[in-house]
Amino acid sequence: MTAPVLRVSGLQVNYGGNTALSIESFHVGKGELVGVVGANGAGKSTLVNGVLGWSRGPAQARGDIFLDGENLSKLPTHERVRKGLLLIPESKLVFGNLTVQDNLQAASRGGVATDRRRYSVEEVYGLFPSLDKRKNSLGAQLSGGERQMLGIARALCLGPRVLLLDEPSIGLAPLLISKMLHTIRSLVDEGLSVLLVEQNVRAALQVVDRLVLLERGSIVADGPVDQMRGDPRIIDAYLGKQAK
Amino acid sequence: MNFLQQLINGLVLGHAYALLAVGWTVLLGVARLVNFGHGQIYMLCAFTTWFIVSRLGIPYPLAIVAAVAVGAAVGAIMQKIMMGLTLKQDLVRIMIVTLGFGYVLEGAAALFFGSSAQILETPLTAHDFYIKDLWFNGQDFAIIIMAMVFFVALKLIVENTQLGRLVRMVAEDPPLAQLAGINVRRVYIGVFAFEGAAVALAAALVAPRTPILTSMGFEEVIITFVVVVLGGIGSIAGSYVAGLLLGLFSAMFGWLADPSYTMTAAFCVLIAILAIRPGGFAAKRGGN
Repeated sequence: MTAPVLRVSGLQVNYGGNTALSIESFHVGKGELVGVVGANGAGKSTLVNGVLGWSRGPAQARGDIFLDGENLSKLPTHERVRKGLLLIPESKLVFGNLTVQDNLQAASRGGVATDRRRYSVEEVYGLFPSLDKRKNSLGAQLSGGERQMLGIARALCLGPRVLLLDEPSIGLAPLLISKMLHTIRSLVDEGLSVLLVEQNVRAALQVVDRLVLLERGSIVADGPVDQMRGDPRIIDAYLGKQAK
Repeated sequence: MNFLQQLINGLVLGHAYALLAVGWTVLLGVARLVNFGHGQIYMLCAFTTWFIVSRLGIPYPLAIVAAVAVGAAVGAIMQKIMMGLTLKQDLVRIMIVTLGFGYVLEGAAALFFGSSAQILETPLTAHDFYIKDLWFNGQDFAIIIMAMVFFVALKLIVENTQLGRLVRMVAEDPPLAQLAGINVRRVYIGVFAFEGAAVALAAALVAPRTPILTSMGFEEVIITFVVVVLGGIGSIAGSYVAGLLLGLFSAMFGWLADPSYTMTAAFCVLIAILAIRPGGFAAKRGGN
């Protein structure tokens, strides 16, 4: 097991009086790509949002979030981001009224710790050439795939320690999904730690190191990808009996 | 020749209106907030300028700086107190609270400065310029120049600087801005401070044109509202154009018809324009 860069302990997220997520313990290792799968409403987005203490709704999260051993649970969302915990949410992930260039330049500002790898705007254009071609387009004019690229590119410019991706494949064509996931894999191979929420389990299994299965707001299985590939719950619910 | 004189008056008035409204334009565009204490901040900063120049004998340029600092401080304090309402976007309570702030400022100003009307005389008001029959003074000239410089600088800052990008990000989507590492609360305080500073600058420049009273402020809020809505909410260039057109309209209507009905006529025009073009001058065709 790699040393944990992100450790979550006793995370509970409530909507009104209802508990939507309750996680006793969970971690992401350094340079590890962890996939989170589960049915709709299992709590996948709630998990990544809760780690950031972020929500568009009335959700309230409590519990301990350790990043490289530092407890971030008392910090507001923007401070957690500055510490290197970067979330690319499921919907509305770029600023539509800003150009691609402005989206990236805003992320390249100062005031963020420099003890970690921050990609320059030129570097992310090298990683995503299609963004370079559309640098003067507004975020709102981009396709779904380009928005995902811009979301990841913006996070890279902010210098992530851990990148949390909430269903980056949603709405993308199969070829784009494969390309997107392999780009994420290559970033992990360079040392980035990633928590990937994904409904496309088959695609996720091709790139993740570890897989976590969520059901009704709790982790019901967590293991290396080879082990999880044979887990009957994964096979029955997501891969089909022919995978056995 | 009278037409040209009214044109000059309208230009001065228009730049004054634009300067008066620009803070609200940014406030409404970025934070989706209103400040009905706007007029009383104008009044307070007009009195501040008068007090510093007339009573303390400090030069007018320094008095402008001081008034801007007072306006910024009042705006920042208001926002700090209302932060909870701002984050919830509780517009009804924000309207009531800002109205309340306005009355508090009015009372405080009456206590401190007295209830008498005051005249703010500056070195610029004494300089008259004549071109044949046309007349304007140094203060009018300063209003036009300062308003133009202010608007150009603001537009450049908002569109081309890192600060402008961060403000636009918060304006578009505050929760997403948090995920970009932006302290949204700080931006809101900054925007309210800017609103206070901008109206203070307008007060320090425009107040020498009329007597200053602690009861003033309501008309300034109405003018601001008209300019902001006509210009297109959040549009800096739009509010400049709207301010200018409202100024020209007021001057011409007052000359050709009756000055006492200028505001009534302005609102008739506002209603007509908004019926045809709901997004104001800045709206794209078919958009809002």
